[in-house]
Amino acid sequence: MAEPQPAPAKPDLMQQVKKTKLWKSIFRHDFSDTPRTRLIRIFGNVFLHLHPVRIAKDALRVTYTWGLGGISFYLFLLLTVTGILLMFYYRPTSAVAYQDIKDLTFVVTLGGLLRNMHRWAAHLMVVVVILHMVRVFLTGAYKPPREYNWVVGVLLLVMTLFLSYTGYLLPWDQLALWAVTVGAQMAANSPILGNEGPFKLPFITPFNDARFGLIGGTVINDATLIRFYVLHCIAVPFIFTVFLCVHLWRVRKDSFSKQTGEKVDVWPHLVSREFLATLLVTVVLFVWSLLMNAPLEAEANLNVTPNPSKAPWYFLGLQELLVYFDPWIAGVVLPTVIVIGLMAIPYVDTNPKGVGSWPKMGWKRLGPLPIWYPTERPFAVSVFMIGVIMWFVLIFIGVSCRGPNWEWYWPWESWSYRRMTKLTLKNIPNLWGLALMGAYFLFGSPIPKAVKDRIAAKAGPKAPALVSAALHFGLGLVMAAALIIPILTAKDADFPLRSQYTTLFESLGRAVNAPAVAAMWHLVQNAGPAVGYGVIGAVILGLGLALGAIGVPFGRLKDRMFDEMGLIKYTIVISLFMMMTGVLGKIFLRLLFGVKYLFSLPVFNFNI
Amino acid sequence: MKRLLFLALTGSLALLFVITMWQDTNREWTRYQRQFVRSLSKDERRGAQTGIRQLIVPGLERVDRCTTCHMAIDKPQLALAEEPFTAHPGQFLAWHPPEKFGCTVCHGGQGLATETAAAHGDVKHWEEPLLRGDLVQASCRQCHGDLSKVSAHVPLLSEGKGLFQAKGCYGCHAVKDVGQTVSVDLTEVGSKSYLLLEADFEMMEPPHDRIHWLMAKLDNPRHLNPGVRPEQLPPGEEEVFPSAMPNFNLSDSELKALTVYLLSLKAGDLPASFVTHEPEAAVLTYASPVEWGKAVYEKVGCTACHGIGGSGGRHNWNAALGTEVPPLTYVRAYYGSNVEALKALIRDGRQPAPRGLPNRPRPPLYMPAWKDRISEQELDALVAYLFSLSGEPVQPAAPPAPAEPAGSEPPAPTPS
Repeated sequence: MAEPQPAPAKPDLMQQVKKTKLWKSIFRHDFSDTPRTRLIRIFGNVFLHLHPVRIAKDALRVTYTWGLGGISFYLFLLLTVTGILLMFYYRPTSAVAYQDIKDLTFVVTLGGLLRNMHRWAAHLMVVVVILHMVRVFLTGAYKPPREYNWVVGVLLLVMTLFLSYTGYLLPWDQLALWAVTVGAQMAANSPILGNEGPFKLPFITPFNDARFGLIGGTVINDATLIRFYVLHCIAVPFIFTVFLCVHLWRVRKDSFSKQTGEKVDVWPHLVSREFLATLLVTVVLFVWSLLMNAPLEAEANLNVTPNPSKAPWYFLGLQELLVYFDPWIAGVVLPTVIVIGLMAIPYVDTNPKGVGSWPKMGWKRLGPLPIWYPTERPFAVSVFMIGVIMWFVLIFIGVSCRGPNWEWYWPWESWSYRRMTKLTLKNIPNLWGLALMGAYFLFGSPIPKAVKDRIAAKAGPKAPALVSAALHFGLGLVMAAALIIPILTAKDADFPLRSQYTTLFESLGRAVNAPAVAAMWHLVQNAGPAVGYGVIGAVILGLGLALGAIGVPFGRLKDRMFDEMGLIKYTIVISLFMMMTGVLGKIFLRLLFGVKYLFSLPVFNFNI
Repeated sequence: MKRLLFLALTGSLALLFVITMWQDTNREWTRYQRQFVRSLSKDERRGAQTGIRQLIVPGLERVDRCTTCHMAIDKPQLALAEEPFTAHPGQFLAWHPPEKFGCTVCHGGQGLATETAAAHGDVKHWEEPLLRGDLVQASCRQCHGDLSKVSAHVPLLSEGKGLFQAKGCYGCHAVKDVGQTVSVDLTEVGSKSYLLLEADFEMMEPPHDRIHWLMAKLDNPRHLNPGVRPEQLPPGEEEVFPSAMPNFNLSDSELKALTVYLLSLKAGDLPASFVTHEPEAAVLTYASPVEWGKAVYEKVGCTACHGIGGSGGRHNWNAALGTEVPPLTYVRAYYGSNVEALKALIRDGRQPAPRGLPNRPRPPLYMPAWKDRISEQELDALVAYLFSLSGEPVQPAAPPAPAEPAGSEPPAPTPS
């Protein structure tokens, strides 16, 4: 930088200008880099004022936060700006909405770029907000005193998804119409309030149920378009902003989760990093928008249903779950449980460790296997990460591996509308299903210390361990038996006249989509019933013992958790955990055994 | 480090902005416009309009931006210029002023687009491809119900319409209120969405658009729809027969003519002020009942299945009466003594056609009911014609028995 030459007349003029009231009212402090101005910059600016004046040096490290919260906020601003610009060109009526999008692409100056940026920034915001949540979880930043802000954050995540979803309809093309139809159909399947859901109230009809409330009609039409437009452009952003203010304010009030390292000035250290992050995000979005156009398919047509119709990608995990569960579970109960479960995390996680740093990983031997595990919060981190990974795996399957008729296609395979896969899916009789589910959820029950003490007092010091082993091996055997015995013996309700197959075993054994049952069937056919059923009996025994062997160490963990958390927190945690693994379990039952429902009450449209 | 990052990011942002502005100001159409303006003489340049040009046609709810590149359509002195600067040939623009008709209502394509591929409809998700060359005749019928008045300009369309009749397409397909319901209704085949059309592009090479799909279908129906054999299916799933539509061995020109006719069958959503209606067909008189019957036979489309002169049957999979549609040369022998049975059969049809083998799917072709489509007088004439087909008097030779043994059928359908 060249040294400024002290010119004779100019500084005087500058000095004069700087003394005017006008100058002083615009630039209210000088720009020399002194501790005082650094402080005034933050104090004296309503926007920067959200920052503290000084911050711990370690909290500034990019690898601690990755700037995800700030980037989410910036993306929200960017989306607001591009969204406002798009509103100049868009009319939310079905007659012209699609044409307006075409105009944006073809004639509006930079219109294509604007739309691309809005679209990709929305996708990016969903990703970044989720990653932000994962980061906050892993660094324990939701622990006291920040529990409340975590809940606000979860609400903001839900609103982000809803904003994205309502915006999805606006281009009024086939993609939009049918993606929103999938989502709206889930509303129609909500329990009690949905016309197609279980236990619907007697006065619920298609004309007053949850879907009607969401889309303003029985099919998606102009009423839906204006409704989603207002929700997308005004209502949800308004509520979002309110919550966002609370969220940022709480960050400031509750202070950062990382407090190590010397304190440094926020100006310029944090502000410059924030500025660089926004620049980086802008450049990335710019390049993305230049290289890839936002999709626009044929104009929306309710008479033409594309096959497959896919929801927006962030809901595709739930849509993929429709393969394994009825819509009221996959589309309503599970998302509700996920959201409430996420909100409950800071209130049930009593472990004070792991705040302000990424999980410390360590190695441990579990039998013959080396295990890489988080040392400070093993249960919390593992369960949360399994949940997150499951969510994204399901999304990946929905996006890349599902083709016409929701059949499985590898990402490199091309779709064929001529392919047909015949699925044979059967229900397990209700009583057996109840036994299986009951044993499964009892598997989560602990033996409290008080009970253990009493057992030990009565029957000796080894008795509690024996009781625990008996409980878990017993439940394991019940589960194995309640799964396989009805498949072997129950009548196939789909063929009541004994015209073709008579038992579930025959039906599923000949099916191509129940490999476990097919293997047993072939065994019995080829090796004779005595050997076959003998082996199957051994399998039941082995499966039960294996579940029991998992259950015993799990039991020790449960008992410890119960003693530390108390009944209520423990019940919440273990229910969420058992539901999560239960989803996995149901997926395996469906893929290996061809089981459709474990429990079915067709009269109430209630199937699990 | 931070300063460097800041400079790099700001620099690339500025560069990106320049690139976008450059892209935006140098779109495909601006190149054509510059090229066009350069070709003008100096004094002509002054009046030349540049920028996006569009024809807003309120009556047809269309906005056509084609003239953004096709800048000389109204300049007859450029009749021999290269595309896109050619003048519109003929007097068509005088008869159809662009400000009233626009472009796409006749030529197809995507009027809103300003990029070549998108505007010509050669992109995904635009199901109205550009009707290149003679194919544009397909659009005339939207308004010109009375084709005889414009016959000089629509040779392909007229030929196609004739072929549709002559090949007996009405025997299986309906167009509006004429024709049968054995196969798909073709009333809107020129405009309905590819999904409703069940356009199976999987079996054909690109381009995957309506025009090429129709041509491929007419050329060889079974090529597009070869069916699904039992061995390709999971056990227990019923096989799917190939397309039952006969291969008419059309010549290239016939193929094109018929395609043009099919493309002309569009959903009629044009305002009444544009449309002239088809005149009532003249009532013809015939020299003899046999001639009349022949005309009926050809008009309603019996030829498609029973062949010209009732001589050749089409292949019909798994039909109990034999895998060929029964020839009609034995009608007199079989029904000579029982004309009422023949009339009843024609009136009520035989649907669904009985299966040869019970475990294979139903035969795709069947005799539909004609009582709503053939009047009693016409029926008498038709019977007379059918009786005339055998030529000789009653033959004692064995007629095809209605309950032909089922086992005579080959086990798998031959795809030829």
